[in-house]
Amino acid sequence: MMKWTIFAAVVICAPVSAQWLNYPTPGIPRLPNGKPNLEAPAPKTADGKPDLSGLYDIDNGRLFQDIAADIRPQDFPIQPWAAALAKQREQDMRKDDPYSHCLPPGVPRIDSGNRPFKIIQTPGLIAILYETGYLFRQIFTDGRPLPKDPEPTWLGYSVGKWEGDTLVVDTIGFHDKGWLDGNKGHPQTDALHVTERFRRVNFGHLEIQSTIDDPKAYTKPFTVKQTLHLLADSEILENICNENEKDAPHLVGK
Amino acid sequence: MNWIIIAVVAISAPVSAQWLKYPTPGIPRTADGKPNMSAPAPRMPDGKPDFSGIWVTADGKYLPNLALDGVEVPFQPWAAALYKERQANHGMGRPSERCLTHGVTDFDALGTPRRFLQTPTMMVIIFEAYNHWRQIFLDGRPLPEVIQPVYLGYSVGHWEGDTLVVDTRGFNDRGWLDDGGHPQTEALHVTERFRRPNFGHIDLQLTIDDPKAYTKPWTVKLSGFNYFADQELMESICENEKDVAHMVGK
Repeated sequence: MMKWTIFAAVVICAPVSAQWLNYPTPGIPRLPNGKPNLEAPAPKTADGKPDLSGLYDIDNGRLFQDIAADIRPQDFPIQPWAAALAKQREQDMRKDDPYSHCLPPGVPRIDSGNRPFKIIQTPGLIAILYETGYLFRQIFTDGRPLPKDPEPTWLGYSVGKWEGDTLVVDTIGFHDKGWLDGNKGHPQTDALHVTERFRRVNFGHLEIQSTIDDPKAYTKPFTVKQTLHLLADSEILENICNENEKDAPHLVGK
Repeated sequence: MNWIIIAVVAISAPVSAQWLKYPTPGIPRTADGKPNMSAPAPRMPDGKPDFSGIWVTADGKYLPNLALDGVEVPFQPWAAALYKERQANHGMGRPSERCLTHGVTDFDALGTPRRFLQTPTMMVIIFEAYNHWRQIFLDGRPLPEVIQPVYLGYSVGHWEGDTLVVDTRGFNDRGWLDDGGHPQTEALHVTERFRRPNFGHIDLQLTIDDPKAYTKPWTVKLSGFNYFADQELMESICENEKDVAHMVGK
């Protein structure tokens, strides 16, 4: 009798082989009702630095389509040639947006994607795994300098250093094929230098302030801000854009 | 006096290098400055072997054929016929010809550098080719109930002594196990056994268990990986794809 009761209790308690999309994230602060405590203090690594590790989702991805969404048009320091190019791209309805052709979004556009990303912080290297584009970035925090003559790329070369509780990430080495956003087609050139300032406000909230400095396309640097929330009990998934890609023939211009 | 000190410091400072020549910090080196590939493998604080680092495939010969060393592949009849057809067509139709990703077994065989980044609860593998990533969960979670089959599956790992045993399920039926076209189905379960016998090498053994395509599991030993010091992964996006037009069959 007793044994049967115990057996039943054990079976009821055993975890069901779950979808990873609702597998409980181990080791995070929780409220009495079991939900993650997003207002808990931001964690720190063994060396006392803020720990940015976690899975994050953008609060509002408007910058993905328009990096200047929060800047008044009269304050947006775009060069005339770049403004003309952007206007043409907007009229063409993202026909030539690299992201529409399964090519990578650049930086900081990839941070604003409507798919989550995971930051994994280790000594000397921070890796960001993006579901957007199914790509990764490496941010070197081991003191190495930015490369002198980098091969131009979509995602650039990134180094990071701490200023107090803020991780300041400098990225150079872009080519000019990337678009800073989708709907507006704001251009970039190989002179682009992006500075992202990552700050984990508390356990559940991340801010990224990005300064875009591209003197060939913009008359002076401009800064935009994105906020993200921690996505607990979930996971990033594979995302292969080229699979079953049927949109390309429908991308017609004006 | 100050001037002399400054000069000494300047000469010692590393030249702002291309990352392809930036020295990997903190690795064992021989007297001539080369990485000491025979040194003991490093360990994590909890004593487990640490696979972290950049690695490059020791020999790319297994990419066209995982079974190159002569294992008799126990095909189901339909899978044998499909493999024969793919071989006759010189691999036309394989996913990577259209910039679709490789899967677990062919990424293990592909001659691309990759970084293993290991924490106590996770092994991340990031590949130079495609800029794609794999997550291998070491936190004890079970394999998931799969509703979305994918190219790279869903992976969990556990330790058997110093061997990292990685189980992966949740594959789709579109991937090819290798470039020669060994078939797979959604029933595929891949087991990878990784060992780091010394600083410079990772051994890798694969077991393919796909009862819909093969009558029993089969195991192959690949070339594994060599430590790739003083290097860095470069971006490699499958763009400007011009090969597809040239992929002609028989």
